[in-house]
Amino acid sequence: MSGRLLQLAWRNLWRNRRRTFITMAAIAFGYAMLLFVACLMAGLRWQMIQNGTCLVMSQIQVHAPGYYPNRSLQKTLGGRQGTDVSAMLASIAADRRVNAVAPRVYGYGLLSAAHRSAGVELMGVVSEQETRITTLNSQVVKGTYLNARVPKGVVIGDKLASTIGIELGSEIVLLTQAADGSMGNDVYTVVGILHTGLDAVDRGLVLMSLSSLQDLLHLAPGRIHEVGIKLNHITAASTVAAALEVRLAKSLPVRVMAWPELAPELANYIQFNHGVTVVLFFIFFLVAVIGVMNTMLMAVFERTREFGMLMAIGMRPTQVIGLILTEAAGLAVASLVVGATLGVPLLWYLQVHGLDLGGATGEVVSVAGVVVGHLWYGRQDFSAYSQAAIGLAATALVSALYPAWRAAQLRPTEAMRKV
Amino acid sequence: MTFTNCRHLNVAMVLSLLLLTVAQISHAADDQRAKETVDRVASLFSSKSSIATVKMQIFNEDGQRNLSMQIWSLGDKVLVRITNPQDQAGTAILKEGSDIRYYLPKSNRTVKIPASMAMTSWMGSDFTIDDLVKEPFLTRDYTIGTSFEGKRGDVAVYEYTLTPKPEAAVVWGKIVLQFRQADGVPTWQGYYGEDGKLARELTFSEYKTKSGKVIPTHLVMQSADKAGSHTTIDYEDIAFDVPIVAGTFSLPNMNR
Repeated sequence: MSGRLLQLAWRNLWRNRRRTFITMAAIAFGYAMLLFVACLMAGLRWQMIQNGTCLVMSQIQVHAPGYYPNRSLQKTLGGRQGTDVSAMLASIAADRRVNAVAPRVYGYGLLSAAHRSAGVELMGVVSEQETRITTLNSQVVKGTYLNARVPKGVVIGDKLASTIGIELGSEIVLLTQAADGSMGNDVYTVVGILHTGLDAVDRGLVLMSLSSLQDLLHLAPGRIHEVGIKLNHITAASTVAAALEVRLAKSLPVRVMAWPELAPELANYIQFNHGVTVVLFFIFFLVAVIGVMNTMLMAVFERTREFGMLMAIGMRPTQVIGLILTEAAGLAVASLVVGATLGVPLLWYLQVHGLDLGGATGEVVSVAGVVVGHLWYGRQDFSAYSQAAIGLAATALVSALYPAWRAAQLRPTEAMRKV
Repeated sequence: MTFTNCRHLNVAMVLSLLLLTVAQISHAADDQRAKETVDRVASLFSSKSSIATVKMQIFNEDGQRNLSMQIWSLGDKVLVRITNPQDQAGTAILKEGSDIRYYLPKSNRTVKIPASMAMTSWMGSDFTIDDLVKEPFLTRDYTIGTSFEGKRGDVAVYEYTLTPKPEAAVVWGKIVLQFRQADGVPTWQGYYGEDGKLARELTFSEYKTKSGKVIPTHLVMQSADKAGSHTTIDYEDIAFDVPIVAGTFSLPNMNR
């Protein structure tokens, strides 16, 4: 019987091709639209998290307790005695979820060039290690990143360079209050100028080698302020941070923070974006549902006469309902396949090429203190895709069920008299 | 009738005017004395010109550090040069008008210091760079009121409370100045934050007569938020109104 039902449903679908195609188009188009929205929203969240963490911050930071956010010079890891930095890095890297680690030192100072000076934040990094966890090196627009050939080289932001009138190769003096209270000062050469689009970095950051910043600040080699961590999967950041804190605290007091804690404004934005996505998705879903419901209802009501005929020649009402639902299910599945087929090139395009937001100006767009870039890339969000598919299929079935049930209630003579 | 009335009125007016003027004159005299005293405190260690040898001791959780400095002043120009310890020796600050410059022997550079940095610690001490080289414009920026008169310990003192004028660009909520009634020499100075809490206090002691002027030669600065640390300044030698060559306050001399 069910084999016959399937055969009958199949034939019915092909009997009025135009009706079938209109219904299919409604479902397929709705599905493709939902795929598009879900992909873009997931992409925006991903891009913001990536850019927010990869530029300078890193995904997880390890500090001495109380160091963050005031960044007091004296509060180095392991206190005033410092710690065995390489052993500590090795111990963090021993976690298999950790991809790369890098030590960092921070300070504040006065950058003074020939005519002008400006207050700056000093960041000391080991370039080979730092480039594995952040992407600042790829933001250099003039000159090079920090390199061993110029031990006293610094990389500064383009806005800082233009405000105080310095260029590549300029000599600058950095003046700071060193750890012992004395005036730390030395001459450095600008080896690179970077542009990130993030004002705080472009205007206020001076990047230099870890050891030369330690010299400037009169900090012993064992004294660092921070270990930046990159994970294999950023989604695990908070879990790994908590685990690391427990493990590292056995040897020295530490505070381990994942990016949502380090950049609460970013975490809030991501949460906000999630909320917006749900609402937006729901609206698009409603539009799709109404379209599907309308075409389904019309398609089934249209056939009331036909169902009356079927019942008159002996088909039971439940069989009629079964037939209609089988047709609807077949139609939905076929439509979703078509929708996905239409959507895949679109999703692929979004993921690979992105949407160009900046247009002709090429200006970068920054949201919630994070550079998004002028290209908006999509990212595949399969849970949203499957939810949309299930939702649309269910809508198709439910909207077929109502007219089917109505048709099954009618007496065959009445049903046959309907237009 | 109307005429007499008028005359009565006139007499009354003249009388009250007279009384008012007398009150104002005596008030002005008080004001003048207060201003002079406060000005004297503000320029305690400078006079027309001065040359001083100073030892600064910084006590904090890292232990103790000593700095020796020479300070020249002439009018609104001040030059401070570190003479000890050896690794800091030669570091100098030159203040001319509102400009403050650092000379850094290690980098062999002269760096102009922005006003914001002049309010930060000098060499990790509890004194700021401004404390060292700038005479505060106390009488220009603050309204002076007498808040206490009597004995503190066994010394008879006056105590003035200086509240900032609305337009003054100053960092303190108020400054309390305590000085000896006998010679107007300061004994204690308290700096209060905007919240009215004592932020730091400067205690003066070991009074000596130098070039005919009585000055405290031992100063202790204690910041309220740094219980474990304080900074002392000892004037080992100071001479006032001595001739100073104009070239002393020049960049070439600073770099020497």
